[in-house]
Amino acid sequence: MNKNSKRVLAVVAASGLVLASVALSSANAATKSVTLVYQGPLTGTDAQTGQDELLGAKTAVAIYNATNPAVTVKLITADDQGEGAVAGTVAPGIAANKAVVGVVGPAYSGASIASFPSYKSTGLTMVSPSATRVTLTDPKSADNGYPFFHRVVGNDALQGPAVVRWSTKGVTSPKVYVIDDQTPYGTGLRDAALDYIKATKVSLVGKDSVAQKTSDYSATVAKIKSAGANVVIYTGYYPDGGQLAKALDDASWKGTFAGGDGVLNDAYIGVAGKAAAEGSKFTAPAVPFEIAASDAQQAAFTKATGLKTAAGHVYVTETFNATNVFLACIKQGKTSRAGIQLCVSTGTFYGLDGKTVLKFTRFGEVVGGAPVGGFQVVNGTIKYFGAV
Amino acid sequence: MNFSVVLNQFWPLLISGLALGFIYVLISLGYTMVYGVLRLINFANSEIFMVGTFATVIVSRYFFHFDQNTDPLHGFRLFYTMGACLIASMLMSGVTAVMVELIAYRRLRAKGTNRLASLISAIGTSIMLQEGVRILTHSTPMSNPRLLRKFGAITIGDVNTPNNVVIRNDILLVIVFAAALFFAVDRFVSKTLLGKAIRAVSMSEETSRLMGINLNRVISATFLIGGFMTGAAAFLYETVYENTKYNVGFSIGLAAFTAAVLGGIGNLRGAFFGGLTLGLLEVFIAAVLGTQWKSVTVFVVLVLVLLFKPNGLFGEAVQQSRV
Repeated sequence: MNKNSKRVLAVVAASGLVLASVALSSANAATKSVTLVYQGPLTGTDAQTGQDELLGAKTAVAIYNATNPAVTVKLITADDQGEGAVAGTVAPGIAANKAVVGVVGPAYSGASIASFPSYKSTGLTMVSPSATRVTLTDPKSADNGYPFFHRVVGNDALQGPAVVRWSTKGVTSPKVYVIDDQTPYGTGLRDAALDYIKATKVSLVGKDSVAQKTSDYSATVAKIKSAGANVVIYTGYYPDGGQLAKALDDASWKGTFAGGDGVLNDAYIGVAGKAAAEGSKFTAPAVPFEIAASDAQQAAFTKATGLKTAAGHVYVTETFNATNVFLACIKQGKTSRAGIQLCVSTGTFYGLDGKTVLKFTRFGEVVGGAPVGGFQVVNGTIKYFGAV
Repeated sequence: MNFSVVLNQFWPLLISGLALGFIYVLISLGYTMVYGVLRLINFANSEIFMVGTFATVIVSRYFFHFDQNTDPLHGFRLFYTMGACLIASMLMSGVTAVMVELIAYRRLRAKGTNRLASLISAIGTSIMLQEGVRILTHSTPMSNPRLLRKFGAITIGDVNTPNNVVIRNDILLVIVFAAALFFAVDRFVSKTLLGKAIRAVSMSEETSRLMGINLNRVISATFLIGGFMTGAAAFLYETVYENTKYNVGFSIGLAAFTAAVLGGIGNLRGAFFGGLTLGLLEVFIAAVLGTQWKSVTVFVVLVLVLLFKPNGLFGEAVQQSRV
């Protein structure tokens, strides 16, 4: 091969490379995609909560992608089992994934605290549908996720008083016994409930602190009976709450069993049994999807999830809203982590009904707070009773 | 401290503590019998218990097709359904225990490796079992359908006054059945030929071998009996608490092991007294000091007991019943 032939070949090869790269970049522009991750308990004792929330995220992404946007969104999942110890091992992998521009979650407060170091150091924005511990947005706390953590739900400072009000509603001379599960969520909600009890002079007849995964609640039941309590507020999650409610029922205790959003789950009825679960009350800064969604949104939900209705699934609306916060930013052309962070922290968004305004304070709370709903098990199903 | 709860809830606390204690007794037999013949802790016993709980749940849910909406059973149907669950739990736990012996202990014993290797291989088997079930169940807990309608089987005093005595039928079942099983094992070990062989091996492996005892067979039989007892405990646990998960054995296994050490590990009657002592301690401490102090106080008591009685509470007093 002579020199000229080599030059010709080099020019042809270079031209080919340029053309190929132009073609590739055009193709990339046409199919640009960013990734959102849903982080929550998808397996483990609290898996039902994560599986429920994922329905809301899937629906929001499906509605968005169906509009043929310039930037499509891929939804992936990260299973932290709702436990800080697991979240601490999952979060670094998510943070290192450059394709991920936002985290819908973490779902649980303990898992949030464990995830913060990874996300804060890599500028990854979080919008949680259900982590309610007060300190997550408290600038004085070492547990805060500022400036990357946001949540679309009211915190336990709102839920604590609500769970006391709702559990004692209709009870003559309420005598309240408060039990926490020793988790960051459980102790946070307990403190908020106790503060309200003290301030309103509701009769507090006792309190206990029982670690998660306890099987035998006989001592706690004996104390509740001994104290003459007619209202028990459990600040923990449904697997343990169900066990405690069952133990109380087996001991023929008569009264109102109540819990926060950690206990609000259809699976609670399965663990406690129908008889023990009947009449149990819950609060949650949540609005059921099947109540708030339009017909078109209901249809989109069914198409995206294969389920006829969202009834019995918790935090679907809130996860839908949290996902939509990111989707609104992506729609505005924000596809980098920095762009998303600026958009989420300064933008104004709308909830499922298209009217509820979601705007975040500097530390990640919804401006003006969010309503806390009351729920109760009636004839074996959980019914919504509006804001309490 | 809340002493008033002991004054007006003494009997319920006592009965709950006894029921929990009897479950500990049966599980601690699995630890203490193996320790008796091998002088090694069977760290996989907590997973042998876990397997037994799943056997009961699987039989009731998938063999008899019961679920949370099923009405409690009555009469002969109740008897054979619960019987099948009990047998399944005992068999599954017994077979698992023998498999643990074959996999984790026998080959290492034949090779003459040191005791540390056997301990590590038992821990490895335990982790393998737990993680295997975790993956298979996606870490999700499983509820056991309520087969037995629960009611006060024995009532003493006015039910509307504090400190009346109401013993629920499931609690009564635990206490009576576990006590009967313990008595049967105790008699078996002291009276039968195999029981005598087990005791002989526990006293001197070398002498037993010279006397013509088949060591491997005796050790396997010991694991099998220990597994049967742990499986029975798993069935009783499911009857009372109606829930299981892959790590259900961890805390209860640790408690049963503590009970065995408290009573004097390697000693059958020590396991009995240790189990009951621990069950009662846990319930009363949780009631008086708060549940968060239960584990702390139990282990402080254990350390204190071992400081003054290194062989456990009943380690030397009932030496004759050593396996």
